[in-house]
Amino acid sequence: MNPAVHLDGITKRFPGVVANDDVDLAVERGSVHALLGENGAGKTTLMNVLYGLYEPTEGTVRLDGEPQSFDSPRDAIDAGIGMIHQHFMLVDPMTVWENVVLGNEPTTWGGLRVDKEAAREAVVELSERYGFDVDPDAAIADVSVGEQQRVEILKALYRGADVLIMDEPTAVLTPQEVEELYGVFEELTEQGKTIIFISHKLGEALSAADDITVLRDGVNVGTVAAEDVTREDLAEMMVGREVLMEPATTPQEAGDRVLSVSGLDVDDDRGVRAVSDLSFELRAGEVFGIAGVDGNGQSQLVEAITGLRELADGEIHYLGESLSGTTRRDRIDRGMAFIPEDRQERGLVMSYDLTENAILGSQHDQPFARGGRLDWSASRDHAESVIEQYDVRPPDAAAEAEALSGGNQQKFIVGREFERDPDLVVAMHPTRGVDIGSTEFLHDRLLELRAEGKAVLLVSSKLDEVQGLSDRLAVIHEGEFSGVVDPATVTEEEIGLLMAGETPDDDSVEAASLHEEATDQIAGDPTADGDEVDA
Amino acid sequence: MSDAGPDAGGTPSVVSRLIAPFVDRSVAERLVISVAAILLSIAVGFVIVLISGRIAQCSTAAWTMPLTGIGFCYDPIQVYVVLFNGAFGNPIAVGEPGLFNPNWTPFNLSLGLTLSETTLLIFTGLSVAVAFRAGLFNIGTQGQLVVGALATALTVIAAAPLLPEGPVGGAVLIVLGTAAGAVGGGFWGAIPGALKAYADANEVITTIMLNFVAANVAYVLVLEVFRAEGSSVVATQYVPEYAQFLPWFFPQSADFAVVALLVGIAFIGALYYLIEHTSFGYDVRTSGVQAAAAEYGGVNAKLTTVRAMTLSGALGGIGGSVWVLMSEGRWMASIPSLGFDGITVSILAGNNPIGVLPAAFLFGILKGGALEIGFRTDVPTELVGVLRGLIILFVAMPEFFRMIGKYAGIGAGGPGGGVRTDPDETDGAVGTDGGEADA
Repeated sequence: MNPAVHLDGITKRFPGVVANDDVDLAVERGSVHALLGENGAGKTTLMNVLYGLYEPTEGTVRLDGEPQSFDSPRDAIDAGIGMIHQHFMLVDPMTVWENVVLGNEPTTWGGLRVDKEAAREAVVELSERYGFDVDPDAAIADVSVGEQQRVEILKALYRGADVLIMDEPTAVLTPQEVEELYGVFEELTEQGKTIIFISHKLGEALSAADDITVLRDGVNVGTVAAEDVTREDLAEMMVGREVLMEPATTPQEAGDRVLSVSGLDVDDDRGVRAVSDLSFELRAGEVFGIAGVDGNGQSQLVEAITGLRELADGEIHYLGESLSGTTRRDRIDRGMAFIPEDRQERGLVMSYDLTENAILGSQHDQPFARGGRLDWSASRDHAESVIEQYDVRPPDAAAEAEALSGGNQQKFIVGREFERDPDLVVAMHPTRGVDIGSTEFLHDRLLELRAEGKAVLLVSSKLDEVQGLSDRLAVIHEGEFSGVVDPATVTEEEIGLLMAGETPDDDSVEAASLHEEATDQIAGDPTADGDEVDA
Repeated sequence: MSDAGPDAGGTPSVVSRLIAPFVDRSVAERLVISVAAILLSIAVGFVIVLISGRIAQCSTAAWTMPLTGIGFCYDPIQVYVVLFNGAFGNPIAVGEPGLFNPNWTPFNLSLGLTLSETTLLIFTGLSVAVAFRAGLFNIGTQGQLVVGALATALTVIAAAPLLPEGPVGGAVLIVLGTAAGAVGGGFWGAIPGALKAYADANEVITTIMLNFVAANVAYVLVLEVFRAEGSSVVATQYVPEYAQFLPWFFPQSADFAVVALLVGIAFIGALYYLIEHTSFGYDVRTSGVQAAAAEYGGVNAKLTTVRAMTLSGALGGIGGSVWVLMSEGRWMASIPSLGFDGITVSILAGNNPIGVLPAAFLFGILKGGALEIGFRTDVPTELVGVLRGLIILFVAMPEFFRMIGKYAGIGAGGPGGGVRTDPDETDGAVGTDGGEADA
């Protein structure tokens, strides 16, 4: 039997770049196939060829053995291919069923009137057939992210998709929702649908897929059955060398209190409370991790600490002194390094070269500035040293930031901030978009800083990252800590429940106790406070 | 595509690194484009002169088209020859044997007028450029110039009796007057800066409004309080002769002083250094190109806005000082629109202080040449205005020429443009389009 999808020797060239080089990919009907690779490996390009967005430079797309030639996604949809993007394309105020039929409404009166009953009926029937738990009359704005994703799948099915392409489907989901998604996969494949999903997460590919194809630098490194490989095998295929998966944390005594946050309230740009009554503290030589689904107040919390956002209420103490009334500049001067979540907006000036970017934040400080004068040769030396230590490519201090790939931009920012000799590092998604090999290095470097007695506040949506690096791990949900756990003993499932705002019954979770404890220490522990204020 | 970068600079890297700061690719490119723009504008202007020359009535044809024998009232070649030649005082002898005019000296009236305009536009151009680099659109240079000019005139007139007459007193008065102009203009620029920073008022609107306020308040002040006795126009009395910039080599009537031009060029250098080589300049530039990154880097956005607008206003104010002390000798109500021309000069210069010099010089040439056309030909001044406008219009749209260049196959990128490294977002958009369009 012919495979449902067969990409035969696909090569896609862009001026100066070969995104896919003679890639073969065969996907059996009714199977789940993971397309695994690091950023820039060519996964998305390959799927865009299948979806008709790009025309391949060489090679053929075959569906059930029939060669196809797609001029546009419309041709691909007609041929039974559906694509679900990472960011959903749904209309928030409209209902589930309206979104599903949007653009393909059944009509009466010769196309003048939408047949609402028939449309709704079709959607209900479809969701029942696949066992989807969605309310057809709920507005999109009111349903969870996981449900929105199912609506996207329904949309594709409604248009007659037999092959579903999903781009990083778990990126926006909580672990529980991920499990549900795997269930959806099973339902779909049982009914003969074929699923291809793009991912750069090893665990996800292993648990959800039947077969895994690994792309590296636009080349198919190999297709393997999920049951025959280990994480280490896959990581080696992706990176091209052996990778140490677990960062080696050694136990270490925490030192003096570096940061303490008490009763913190922060509003977002719209004036809506994003962080409410949050308290915690962070000591020297300690990594405090904050896990959570993006958009639960992490950004506002970090901005408040680093001086980019006003507090609505509460207090932040840094190195024994209150930060109220201090500017961002003061905090930089007092040794607070910050890896922002948005590297292209904040972390780098895109039109500046790396020499100029190397002094962002230090533009008034020795040795880069003396008496208001900039010393460009000192900043070039600094840029070159960061480039060399952190393996930034291309290794050229005169390259403009926008010419670098996302992962290399990130490495440069992390390098710049780590080499500031900080007392506190606030790291938000420090390895986002960075390949496995470099991630390993950045993690090692972060643990070195910890060993040197720096305090690290680590915010990440990568569970294995926060869990593997943190000494203590808080889970944030809707602006509050739903729990602070010991990362060594907590399970992924427990974290998942906390991320969804539920409290698991387990001894390792001290959800309620933390809050009072932290407040007590700040307000009523004279011995701990005393010596730090003096210092 | 990013791999091509480091390899390309293999062997000639030493040479290119030495030369790069002076002629980096974009500067050379801009130069070529500017020249091409001027040539194209001349071609278009040529046709316009011919058509107007056909429509106009005249007894004898100034130019007869070869072969066809059709006569035209204006000679397009002559117009452009006079425009550019005249701006320099006719160094090229037209219609006579021998290419160069033996009687030509650089210190002539026409070149003086050209350079006078150039000098004034250097200051207003720098004023607009500094604000631009901080991401601020200062349309208020004109108002800052008016205020600066008045401050200069009043300060010099008030201080003159206290100082000895002669070159020493004059020098002190000039410095004092220029400082007063800088303070006055700086104050007038700081107002919209503060409004922007602390009240979130759009600087485009506030600076335009403050132009009217400046012009009218200054008018009433001079009309009611500081008007020179017996003057038929609304003007202050003249500042003493010794407190004005001396013309040195050029004729008095050119209203041009070499010293002022040299001061202007010194300001260009100083400003370039300030923007490229100081912490303050780094803050200003970063705020201009990427405000969020500047904030992340500890730049106080509000303070930087106020400072940049104050500096911009001060430069406009100094432009006013030079106008009083070099051109007019007093403050008078009919101030030319140097501040507005400064906007065009700055844009032509790519908001780069160094570029302000050639841009201001081009404006100077067009001004000097236009006067010359008026003297020497029958071409109406309105038509000359059209030709000037055409040149500026073409020079001001380098993007247009870059596009033409691309389609003509010059340069690296094809019409398709560059390749994006992160295709995710657009893919999504295209995907939905395709999906929904088939309904």
